[in-house]
Amino acid sequence: MSATLTIAKRELRANFDSPVAYVVICLSLIALGFTFFYYEGGFWQANRASFEMLFVYLPRGLSWVVIPVLTMRLIAEERRAGTLEMLITLPVKDHQVVLGKFLGTWAVVLGLIASTLLFPVLMFKFWHLGTLDWGPIFAGYIGLVFYSAAAVSLGLLVSSLTESQIIAFFVTWLLLLALHISGMFMNRVDDPSLQQILAFISFDARLVSFSRGLVTTRDLLYFASIAAMSLMASFRALERRKWS
Amino acid sequence: MIEAKGLSKLYGPFRALDKVSFQVKRGEVVGFLGPNGAGKSTTMRILTCFISATGGTAKVHGVDVFDDPLEVRRKIGYLPQRAPLYGEMTVWDYLQFTSDMRGLDPSTFKSRMKRIVEVCGLAKVLGKDIRQLSHGYRQRVGLGQALVHDPPILILDEPTSDLDPNEKAEVIRYIQEIGKDRTVLLSTHNLAEVEAACARAIIVSKGRVVADGPLSDIRAKSGTVRYLVTIHEQKLYEGSEAYRAGSTRRPPSSDEVSEALGALPGVQRVRELPTDDKAHAFELSGALGGDLREAIFQLVVQKGWLLLEMRRESQTLEDVFKALTRGDERADRGRPLLAEDDDAAAVGGAAAGAAALASAADEDEDEDEDEDEDEADEGDDDAAEENGGDDESDGDDENDDDGDDDDADDDAKGKKDGR
Ligand SMILES: Nc1ncnc2c1ncn2[C@@H]1O[C@H](COP(=O)(O)OP(=O)(O)O)[C@@H](O)[C@H]1O
Ligand SMILES: [Mg+2]
Repeated sequence: MSATLTIAKRELRANFDSPVAYVVICLSLIALGFTFFYYEGGFWQANRASFEMLFVYLPRGLSWVVIPVLTMRLIAEERRAGTLEMLITLPVKDHQVVLGKFLGTWAVVLGLIASTLLFPVLMFKFWHLGTLDWGPIFAGYIGLVFYSAAAVSLGLLVSSLTESQIIAFFVTWLLLLALHISGMFMNRVDDPSLQQILAFISFDARLVSFSRGLVTTRDLLYFASIAAMSLMASFRALERRKWS
Repeated sequence: MIEAKGLSKLYGPFRALDKVSFQVKRGEVVGFLGPNGAGKSTTMRILTCFISATGGTAKVHGVDVFDDPLEVRRKIGYLPQRAPLYGEMTVWDYLQFTSDMRGLDPSTFKSRMKRIVEVCGLAKVLGKDIRQLSHGYRQRVGLGQALVHDPPILILDEPTSDLDPNEKAEVIRYIQEIGKDRTVLLSTHNLAEVEAACARAIIVSKGRVVADGPLSDIRAKSGTVRYLVTIHEQKLYEGSEAYRAGSTRRPPSSDEVSEALGALPGVQRVRELPTDDKAHAFELSGALGGDLREAIFQLVVQKGWLLLEMRRESQTLEDVFKALTRGDERADRGRPLLAEDDDAAAVGGAAAGAAALASAADEDEDEDEDEDEDEADEGDDDAAEENGGDDESDGDDENDDDGDDDDADDDAKGKKDGR
């Protein structure tokens, strides 16, 4: 097994070795269920069976709790505890460390996202609550996969810039908060170019568009390039230790 | 196997390493000695390609650390300072992780583990979480981790610090065992360990190599031998001629003894040591190669004193260490990059290795040149130096007998000295 995968596996296990991971997953599923079905009337108010809101609430929950918690320790804590030195002095390249940590954490988030498939599957496959257009659901999940890659890699980047998990948590949280709600400020600013920027960076706007069944290369590229740039920047941040 | 040439490292304006050069040959176990902050860890991090040197080159197993870090790391087993391990993993899982990272196949790993468990004494803790282990056991796991791929070279950064004396002895025993068929670079600031495990030592201070050679050479560096003489304070030897003749019936005063000892030919310096016995204890220094014991014995017999103890000691490594690394805490590390002339002298001295060991006094002169603000202090030291090459007059005499059992004292002293 390559060093990258070994690191990914270790990260994965580090998250699932403690019961905390399972508790977090269960609680977030329950919380998501409540929000989805009851918040502001929720699912039952909509005329059509639509999972559009799932694709807004789920990523918000991920961005504001799960991903900052999972990513905060990735490099920051290793740097503080000194285990980074142990890890990097194994025969491994810096980019493999970054990639391995990213993959391990992304896998956890993807697992969580996959588990939310329970909602539509239970409701429409087993309990036959009506007919459902599976196209938008499928598109929405594609969006989630790409979104989560971007969010996790941003968290990883922040974690690679500090020695403090707490700082990493809050900075990641703020960053993701801003990226989610930037769309809301669109109507409040007058400057059209600023409006465009806000619309462009908004995670929510793109996720909604996925959940309506629209998979566009622009949206995919947006998330993918955030992920790629963050990973590259984390790699640089890790390399910087050599020269400081 | 390990070859460092003119390694320098700057942290901002701060010079952590200043043209460090040394070689470690195949099969050698070398002690890398120096007070805290001397640059030991920095050197080791450069050798393991964790950080890059600002200047100079290093080769490990013939491979340049700059060109091919991965190949270098494959040849090295490295234990960083304080053995930072993943606390949430079990010992077995951790070692398995290291083995996977190094690309060993499972059967090789299993067979290696047998030996590692035995050599490092890990049998009892294999299934335990690392965070539950005592520091001593963590160090052992760290050693085990460094041995998984059966590397030809081991780099161990203070494997015994923060351990209790039993654990220290234990770890040193493992290192002796491991070092039988490997090249080992072992950093520490505990000298007893170096004496136990290494044949050669490199002493660094303020980012420079100040001594490099076999222990016996380093020990001989100060050029003196110490004698400890203890004489009863209240009794005389009643069988002595002088006593029977009645010419002396009064026990000697300490001044008297001191004067008489000082008058012996070949004695360079006499210093009274504090004792709690009813005795006068003195430390004499004599020239290396000479032996004053006969003269001392004859003096004592002739005077009719009651001799309680007499011991001849070559200079301990600790004394040399102290002499060489003295003033470390006052170091002016913000030296400009281009202070070439005195640097060249220092590097030349170090590179010449065992054959041309610069004496402690020489080193001090160097210090004077590049540390102007400390001139006054260093001047004092030099004065002490002239009085006999030993300036530890600050009451750490109780450590002079250099036993393995006062590690704690050593550490405390290290801290005091390193401030
Ligand atoms: N990352 C760093 N940034 C700035 N200074 C450092 C850094 N690492 C070490 N130093 C300084 O370099 C000097 C040498 O450190 P080190 O090699 O750890 O010493 P040793 O291991 O011999 O105790 C110390 O004075 C230390 O404060
Ligand atoms: Mg150190």
